[in-house]
Amino acid sequence: MAHPRRTPVWGWALVAVAVAILAVPALAVERFPPPDFTETGHTLPPLVQPPPGAAWQDIIHAAALAVGLALAAWFALRLRSRMAIAWLSVASLLYFGFYLGGCVCPIGSIQNVTAALADPAYTVPVTVVLIFALPLVFALLVGRVFCSGVCPLGAIQDLVLLKPLRLPLWLQSALSCVPLVYLGLAVLYAATGSGFVICQWDPFVAFFRLDGSPGMFLWGGGLLVLSTFIGRPYCRFLCPYGALLGLCARVAAWRVSTTPDECVNCRLCENACPFGAIRAPTYEGGGPQP
Amino acid sequence: MSEPGSNDAHLTRRRFFSRVARGALGVAAAGVAGAALVKAGARRQVWQIDPFKCVQCGQCRTHCVLENSAVKCVHDFVMCGYCELCTGFFYPDPNALNEGAENQLCPVGAIRRVFVEEPYFEYHIDERLCTGCGECVKGCSDFGNGSLYLQVRQDRCLNCNECAIAAACPADAFIRLPADRPYVVKHLGKDAVNPESANGGNA
Repeated sequence: MAHPRRTPVWGWALVAVAVAILAVPALAVERFPPPDFTETGHTLPPLVQPPPGAAWQDIIHAAALAVGLALAAWFALRLRSRMAIAWLSVASLLYFGFYLGGCVCPIGSIQNVTAALADPAYTVPVTVVLIFALPLVFALLVGRVFCSGVCPLGAIQDLVLLKPLRLPLWLQSALSCVPLVYLGLAVLYAATGSGFVICQWDPFVAFFRLDGSPGMFLWGGGLLVLSTFIGRPYCRFLCPYGALLGLCARVAAWRVSTTPDECVNCRLCENACPFGAIRAPTYEGGGPQP
Repeated sequence: MSEPGSNDAHLTRRRFFSRVARGALGVAAAGVAGAALVKAGARRQVWQIDPFKCVQCGQCRTHCVLENSAVKCVHDFVMCGYCELCTGFFYPDPNALNEGAENQLCPVGAIRRVFVEEPYFEYHIDERLCTGCGECVKGCSDFGNGSLYLQVRQDRCLNCNECAIAAACPADAFIRLPADRPYVVKHLGKDAVNPESANGGNA
């Protein structure tokens, strides 16, 4: 039979000391009893609690995202107009970037969704789930229209692109692995509740808000300088959401293609693409090129 | 060049894999989104400070992404002792108990001291001036009733996905509250901080 362990006398003394120490802050609340103002009948001022922005703003945010994605898909696949997409991305930069201040964006929403799945105390609004899922659904159907026309981070890099350099293929392929690593780390950090690294390292949010720490401006400014001669460095070599979208866009149902009947294989488009996304043509039949 | 009709025959395998992958990715995305939606509950959350954990380190002033921090000092008048010698307002051992700048603890003079009746004074925070440094909070908590405390003002807060102050907070005092109850009212006690226990107790 197990004998109950007896607490020694010094143990009780320790408990008494601990209780005394813990009791001090509890007593501290009542140091000076609040007055009842019998002379003047003074009434206490109210506790002012300005409310946060209303929830319908989030709904408009998600709706605007859906409209932007649909427009970008239409511009890319039907109109085939680079100019229309450029204007759409300027509008997105103004609305999602400068007006909304860049939060919550689909890139960061990866972490909200992860945290919601991993942490029982964390709740995520339906609108944020929509913001996460809409660009992915569009990428499965019509490719990365979010990147091209709606993402404010992409738009700000596009605007400063002056003279794109062509990166060697091996470097481009090697750097393309970074987003997958970044995505893995971000999911790991969010799932363990260690923090939202994508947001901590968001390069342009300080520019969108015209407010932020010197480090944020330095990081974003550095990337913008890089963007003047390397097309969209953040999108191509860092963006974790881009990695997800790229995976989906690889099997998209409809996508932008060169018009096969008119193509004369001049391969000028390979040089023209600022992002090195166009590779040498391959014969789709699989056999030798005719 | 092959005639248009024969395209399907050539591309069967490629298209098949493409379709399978598309379906798989679609199901995966829908699964993740669906699982998150099941948990969603539609309640928005906002950042807030648990005043019972706050140690007034001063990082709320410096770490907010806003130049003028969204964290401000608030005054829970119900708890205030209306002291003439307010340790949230005066420097320790002040020259005189008046509003002279040399006597004030607040570095920006954001606290207004108003006489109510002998010997009571009321202290108002001017949020336009307050920087959220927490000096007065420290004074009030250390020697007074603790009626001054820091709160995230929701009209200023951008509700960043990752609050920069929360990431820096040494006391882990940043919590998420439902958007319909976005403040901690200190005189209601520690139980009111936690949404779960508050729902059990009050609502």
